[in-house]
Amino acid sequence: MPKHRVIYFNARGRAEPSRLVLSAAGVEFEDVRFTNEEWQTEKATGKYEFGQLPCLETDGVIIGQSRAIARYLANEYGLAGKTNLDKAKADMITDACEDLLQGMAKIHYEKDEAKKKELQTEYGKKIATILAALEKILTANNGGDGFFVGDGVSVADLSFFAQMEYNLSSAADLLDSYPS
Amino acid sequence: MPQYRLMYFNIRARAETSRMIFAAAGVEYEDVRVAREQWPAEKASGKYPFGQMPCLEIDGKFTLAQSRAIGRYLANEYGLAGKDNLEKAKVDMVIYVCEDIYVGVRNIFFEKDETKKAEMKADFVVKADSILAALEKLLIANNGGNGYLVGDSLTWADLEFFVRMEYAPFFNAAILDQYPKLKALAERVSSVPEIAAWLKKRPKTDF
Repeated sequence: MPKHRVIYFNARGRAEPSRLVLSAAGVEFEDVRFTNEEWQTEKATGKYEFGQLPCLETDGVIIGQSRAIARYLANEYGLAGKTNLDKAKADMITDACEDLLQGMAKIHYEKDEAKKKELQTEYGKKIATILAALEKILTANNGGDGFFVGDGVSVADLSFFAQMEYNLSSAADLLDSYPS
Repeated sequence: MPQYRLMYFNIRARAETSRMIFAAAGVEYEDVRVAREQWPAEKASGKYPFGQMPCLEIDGKFTLAQSRAIGRYLANEYGLAGKDNLEKAKVDMVIYVCEDIYVGVRNIFFEKDETKKAEMKADFVVKADSILAALEKLLIANNGGNGYLVGDSLTWADLEFFVRMEYAPFFNAAILDQYPKLKALAERVSSVPEIAAWLKKRPKTDF
């Protein structure tokens, strides 16, 4: 019986970084994916403190909030960065990826076409700023041919990868200007 | 002791929790408050990794961005993060939930249209109620709720909670009356001598 259950919908979304951390660590886990109807029933049980997914169930304890989960798993399995400062750098990167996710979600949910275009322009600028910053951070780490933080893969690289899967699907050449 | 410069605007918002961590830990730092007019030049200097504040400059050598990354780093350095990985995860969960409170309040505060503002306030009170009800439960589940949100000593989750609830007057000043354990927690936090001292001496700001 795997120790961890990652509970979410059948999507990558906010659970993928955690799934990637567990996979990278070679740790088996139960990859629970609820349909919307199943979630409504589950939610009503009150098991999920903040009534949201993803959640991680470990040894009977349920933790919510996607980045809290990803960080917890990364810390448990040595994928968080070695020092406090490295962990802080990793946090900074995952928070920046979250900004990209939120920007995308905002556009996705905007019904008004004119407002949507405005948001897309803003988002384009935001992506450029964030990717330029990430490129700098990466190259500052021993020339940029390794990983974002330290000398091994961390939750920062995995979160970045998960987020880029989304951005690249709408702009395949997005990373061409950011070679590292 | 490293030299720290915490850079932000002259508001509480996204830097106050870090300022409270410094206060609770008794660690000195330079509390830099950039005036709005100076910001475009500062931003253009390239000092700020993502062109945003707050940032924490550590020993003049490295600049950390993202308010929660900063808070978590300082909390971990100074023993206010939670004792083990699981406690730290619970602390993180509270931090993210409190973020929802901050964002709701911020959106209300900056809304110019009075009708829209009233609507947002009404919507937000409902959301805040559900968040606070869940936090009250979480607090009570922690040894009856007469201590702290996570573990058995003050963590930055308690500080963040306090900082966010200072905004209650923007949506419902008396909201904590319905959540007695949370209300007592807020009072407990403000009575910690180092925190009380900071609350007295810090610059008074609207937001």
